[in-house]
Amino acid sequence: MLAKLVKRNKILIGALALLAVITIIAVSGCSGTGTKTESKTENATTAGKSVSLNGAGSTFDQPLFTKMFDEYSKDNPNVQVNYQGVGSGAGIKQLSDETVDFGATDAPMKSEQKAAAKGGEVLHIPITLGAVAISYNIPNVPKEIKIAPDVLVDIYLGKIKSWNDPRIAADNPGVKFPDLAINTAHRSDGSGTTAIVTDYFSNVSSEWAKSIGKGTTVNWPGGVGGKGNPGVAAAIQQTPGTIGYVELAYAAQNNITYAQLKNKEGKWVSPSLEGASEAAAKSDIPDDMQVSVVNAPGEKTYPISAFSWVILYKDQKDKDKGEALVKLVKWMVHDGQNYSEGLDYAKLPQNMVDRIDKMLDTIKY
Amino acid sequence: MIDSADRAITMDLPSNYVVRRYKNWLISGLLILATLIAITPLFMVLGYVVANGIGSISMSFFTELPKPMGEVGGGVANAIVGTLTLIFISSIIGIPIGILSAIYLSEYDRHSLLANAVRFTTDVLMGIPSIIVGIVVYASLVLAIGHFSAIAGGVALAIIMVPTVIRATEEMLNLVPYSLREAAYALGFPKWRMVLQIVLPAAAKGVITGVMLGVARVAGETAPLLFTAFGNNYWSKSINEPIAALPMQIYLYATSPSKESHSQAWAAALILIILVITLNLIARLALRDKNT
Repeated sequence: MLAKLVKRNKILIGALALLAVITIIAVSGCSGTGTKTESKTENATTAGKSVSLNGAGSTFDQPLFTKMFDEYSKDNPNVQVNYQGVGSGAGIKQLSDETVDFGATDAPMKSEQKAAAKGGEVLHIPITLGAVAISYNIPNVPKEIKIAPDVLVDIYLGKIKSWNDPRIAADNPGVKFPDLAINTAHRSDGSGTTAIVTDYFSNVSSEWAKSIGKGTTVNWPGGVGGKGNPGVAAAIQQTPGTIGYVELAYAAQNNITYAQLKNKEGKWVSPSLEGASEAAAKSDIPDDMQVSVVNAPGEKTYPISAFSWVILYKDQKDKDKGEALVKLVKWMVHDGQNYSEGLDYAKLPQNMVDRIDKMLDTIKY
Repeated sequence: MIDSADRAITMDLPSNYVVRRYKNWLISGLLILATLIAITPLFMVLGYVVANGIGSISMSFFTELPKPMGEVGGGVANAIVGTLTLIFISSIIGIPIGILSAIYLSEYDRHSLLANAVRFTTDVLMGIPSIIVGIVVYASLVLAIGHFSAIAGGVALAIIMVPTVIRATEEMLNLVPYSLREAAYALGFPKWRMVLQIVLPAAAKGVITGVMLGVARVAGETAPLLFTAFGNNYWSKSINEPIAALPMQIYLYATSPSKESHSQAWAAALILIILVITLNLIARLALRDKNT
């Protein structure tokens, strides 16, 4: 009877067997790779137990992190770091649930999030800085028009409705603005970029702070939403008269037109990596490193800049993992910084690195 | 010549014959047109994915690990193996449960309260967004184990697969004529043998189609894997570790800022489609063998 069944379905059974064989080959392929890694380890100077670390969080950090971890594993073949960009909020949640070894976030953990963390005290280690560019689409107007903070906020509040408004023209002598309605674009998805921009708006305008506030999603007074940086960029390109905000890395890699902003010292600055680093260098950074650096002092400072942090527990439960993790994060703030600017991320200022080292030394494992 | 023959025929036929013949042509034409419109999107999707993806496919795309985002080269070997592994795990769990439940519903307990409750739950389960399945598995399995794993991913996919398999299999078993079952009883078959040797083989074609539908459905799932299988930039050394999967890799590449990543997303999409089509073809080949 069984023979009959087998005969009837021989191709199907053959196919299943093939799938099984493929899987077995694949799995043995994996363990083959694993063996290779281990034999390499013996030659490496940093010989140690093979450790795999898992991290989750900010999508903004992902391109930088995959590059950093790839380079790191070349020198430390016994350490494998798997990072998934699931979003800052989800990264905090995963760290709290202890399903990952470290997280990454564009906004510091809130007090209730810290209270929910199962593994105790969480350290915030700044790894890089991001800047947000204000982009626009006005026909026949040159690149890098100047937009003052109060003007920008009033545009988003819907108080300035047309590009030929005298308040815009006042900062841009010689530029002839068309009589074109202003349309604002923002992120429709929860985003660290939105958090930075609304943090800046709240910092420069008490009216914005009171009526709208800051956060990864806010109740926008108007305008259109787009998903992710590409969504906002598309909204800007499709409708003349639109203004919006995109990550500097995205703007730089896609040749997007952006505006100059006025920083705290009253200087006009274009978004740049140096401007973001300068915001960190000139800010007063507290010991816990959980600080917003929007509208920071400094002549070269770009005002819409913010830290991105790696978050990890102060008490590491697993000795091998804890040791490997601290070594990794130390490398990220030292040698790892060399990979930042090539990928359009801002470097940490030198004066912070020593302080971060001291902070990392407090981790117990 | 044909014309004159036609005319010769029409002369002998009722006067509305020509009208009816043109009506027939018109309706046939409309049917063909509708069919063409229906299959156009399929070919447009296939064509678009092939056109965009083929350029980035090379041997290394099948054999290498992903490079850091935005860099040229690298492959998705771990994601291909990961997707196959996840399909394998979910099939081992989902197909037996699905088929056995369907046998129970169709052969053993067609009309009871329990059977109707199972059918109702299955239909509800089929309509639940897949991300919710992911969250449930995260809360129940991932948090209990304490880390992400291929097993958790496989369980999530199995939960999505089961209702499809149950409903398709049950429909097919119900289509088997009752007289066949009676004939088997008349020959003295016990019930289990009747089910195994008469009903299942008779319905095999439909059952396998149902199973393949279930497998194809889960092969393309991203949402339930985000917080179960989690993804991995490297090879997973065991099924107890986070594992990569093609749909997650496509999502990652497609949402990244760099153009290199976008073309890799197209290539990975092409591979996923080929994988699903191959699974379907295998099932169809199996059926052709049975029918001849």
